[in-house]
Amino acid sequence: MKFPLHRFAAALAVAAVAALAALPAQAAKDVVFAVASTFTTTDPYDANDTLSQAMAKSFYEGLYGFDKDMKMIPVLATSYEVSSDGLVYTLHLRHGVKFHDGTDFNAEAVKVNLDRVTNPDNHLKRYGLYSVIAKTEAVDPYTARITLKNPFSAFINDLAHPSGVMISPAAIQKYGKEIAFHPVGTGPFEFVEWKQPDYLKVKKFAGYWQKGLPKIDTITWRSVVDNNARAAMMQTGEAQFTFPVPYEIADVLKKKPDLALVAAPSIVIRYLSMNTQQKPFDNVKVREAIAYAINKQALAKVAFNGYAEPAAGVVPQGVEYAVKMAPWPYDLAKAKALMKEAGYPDGFETELWSAYNHTTAQKVTQFIQQQLQQIGIRTRITLLESGQRVQRVESWQDPKTAGVRLYYVGWSSSTGEADWALRPLLYGESWPPTLFNTAYYKSDKVDADIKGALLTTDSKEKARLYKDAQETIWHDAPWAPLVVEKLLSANSKKLTGVYVMPDASFNFTNADLK
Amino acid sequence: MLQYTVKRLFGLLPTLFLVGVLVFLFVHLLPGDPARLAAGPDATPETVALVRHDLGLDQSLPRQFVRFVTGVLHWDFGRSLSTKRPVSVEIGSRFMPTFWLTVWSMAWSVTLGMTIGIVSAVWRNRWPDRLGMTIAVSGISFPAFALGMVLMQVFAVDLGWLPTIGDDTWLHYILPSLTLGAAVAAIMARFTRSSFVEILGDDFIRTARAKGLDERQVIWRHAMRNALIPVVTMMGLQFGFLLGGSIVVEKVFNWPGLGRLLVDAVDMRDYPVIQALVLLFSLEFIVINLVVDVLYGFINPTIRYR
Repeated sequence: MKFPLHRFAAALAVAAVAALAALPAQAAKDVVFAVASTFTTTDPYDANDTLSQAMAKSFYEGLYGFDKDMKMIPVLATSYEVSSDGLVYTLHLRHGVKFHDGTDFNAEAVKVNLDRVTNPDNHLKRYGLYSVIAKTEAVDPYTARITLKNPFSAFINDLAHPSGVMISPAAIQKYGKEIAFHPVGTGPFEFVEWKQPDYLKVKKFAGYWQKGLPKIDTITWRSVVDNNARAAMMQTGEAQFTFPVPYEIADVLKKKPDLALVAAPSIVIRYLSMNTQQKPFDNVKVREAIAYAINKQALAKVAFNGYAEPAAGVVPQGVEYAVKMAPWPYDLAKAKALMKEAGYPDGFETELWSAYNHTTAQKVTQFIQQQLQQIGIRTRITLLESGQRVQRVESWQDPKTAGVRLYYVGWSSSTGEADWALRPLLYGESWPPTLFNTAYYKSDKVDADIKGALLTTDSKEKARLYKDAQETIWHDAPWAPLVVEKLLSANSKKLTGVYVMPDASFNFTNADLK
Repeated sequence: MLQYTVKRLFGLLPTLFLVGVLVFLFVHLLPGDPARLAAGPDATPETVALVRHDLGLDQSLPRQFVRFVTGVLHWDFGRSLSTKRPVSVEIGSRFMPTFWLTVWSMAWSVTLGMTIGIVSAVWRNRWPDRLGMTIAVSGISFPAFALGMVLMQVFAVDLGWLPTIGDDTWLHYILPSLTLGAAVAAIMARFTRSSFVEILGDDFIRTARAKGLDERQVIWRHAMRNALIPVVTMMGLQFGFLLGGSIVVEKVFNWPGLGRLLVDAVDMRDYPVIQALVLLFSLEFIVINLVVDVLYGFINPTIRYR
């Protein structure tokens, strides 16, 4: 060998030093989030899915927002005052905030954004949430005044809703309808590229107003439809965070030493609504019997692999003004007695529809079918596909001919407030096709409470009214409340500060990678 | 032959028009209201009305049809109801991944399948035949999604040699094309074998052997050309199927292709996307059939076109 050994060693050493020097002082912190569906849009005002709105939090922020426990917090606003008639909201804005394109955030930006969504010509899908606004004015650069058409006490919650974000007015001007492909906000990350249907990438925004944040350099949001593929990515380290984790894969991921499986509380309630306008469900005793006949604890175990809890009330804990009650007990003897009193000692036949056609819904409906058989109720199960659901339930025009009887469905109040947990589902004017009162429930007392709570600005009075409404509903039993789900996510143990919020949105402002 | 090709190309126009009419009617017969679906789970009726108007769904059916046809004539397939991007862009970005996956899957599976088929036919009922057909039967019976999941578990998760999902590098193509091609290879093997076995029993093969030709000459020059006709037909059909995008494989490997686009579109009742995709698939089949017909002439010069 001509090449002397010591020179070879020296060369190696030089190479090693060079390699070390080539590394940056800190390795780039690139994080991949694997999520279950494709994003529909980056414009939260035009999105109806939680996932797209959660992703949009990378680059957008609202005037108000929610922390990881669903507590409302000021974000781009600092405080607000409301007039005594509940019509005029005055918002004080944060100073020194800039959009990614360098535009200043001020009251004019608030006006541009709210004017955009309240103009029906823009055809934005979240129009309904903000249609209560009559006008928005910029009083001075850091004060905005919003006037409502009628008092609406949950208004600040609407502003905190993930769709109520501030988009750069300059960008709206520049891109118009194409703004969804060029998002420009004030958030911790800047938009890089969106390669549909594969991924959406964002990078750290150097001028972010919260000093020291964000701590990671890039986030790549990858849409991976298949559950198994997401689990595989977590195991190979191709992704650092994934949501949702299906129950059947939870155990596999739990065993991996470098992964953490997190079961977070949610405000997603699953219930069985009963058509109170139709026989035999017009009889409260039948409805109670059904609620008694279902073992919710066992249901949580069988269908949700234990990642759910029996529903403790009409509105899940974590929603503002929710009243906690003892879960509806499982009492077969009482259920049978009630059926006899109602005049159905031998039970009856009826329809059981599910709003979803996935595996969990299949397990739930089969379990309910088997439980109701114990009190003589024979059910025919139909798992509705999304189009069928819209046609047969949600847009059914005539309540008298509605085919829905027992209906398994779920809800999560996206504004984090009792109004949106009760009004769409149990208000007398919310029968389909208006909203989703699939029980066709109508109680003058509950209607008055819900209406009254929207008019008052006094939070004590509001709490009293909502408590009364929830107790009345519990008593009338238009639903058999079933369970409140837990949200399963998995993350690499190196990743910290990423949370799944109770409404299945994400909080990742403080995310860091070790 | 050029005349024949041109004639066939013009002949496909009425077919496409008929397909277009049928698809339009079929799609609008699907239960479910796309405006309601697009507006989302907690939309108010006013919002749904806004969305309906925005999507042009408040117009009468004949008028929507006229709009659809005039659009297609101007090469404008409308905008996707769910993403609001032009349908041509939507399909364009998904076509190439599916196309290349199809090409690679077909390349290896046809080569392997035909080799197995010929070997099996030549050594009929001996051990190479038994082995080859065992492989082929397992290839047909093993479901693609299970194969894909097993391959991913072994080569990506356990061994760490290959990436799990995506289509960024050539490494990403290996597992999906193996999964997609397995069934095709099996079908091609069985098809080639039966076609060859039949031809090898024909009189002209006996004549060729009788005049003292080398067995290799008999198989490659005399049997091959004749046996290839049905095999090429089958190949065209399989190619057409794969070009439609395999829903299962694209889901398992998160492949950004046409199969997933179609599933998503049907889920959201995305009329323009469904219509354009079905038209595209029909066009693909017609073109592939034409290519196959023209190939016949090259394989067997006794075939004439009129």
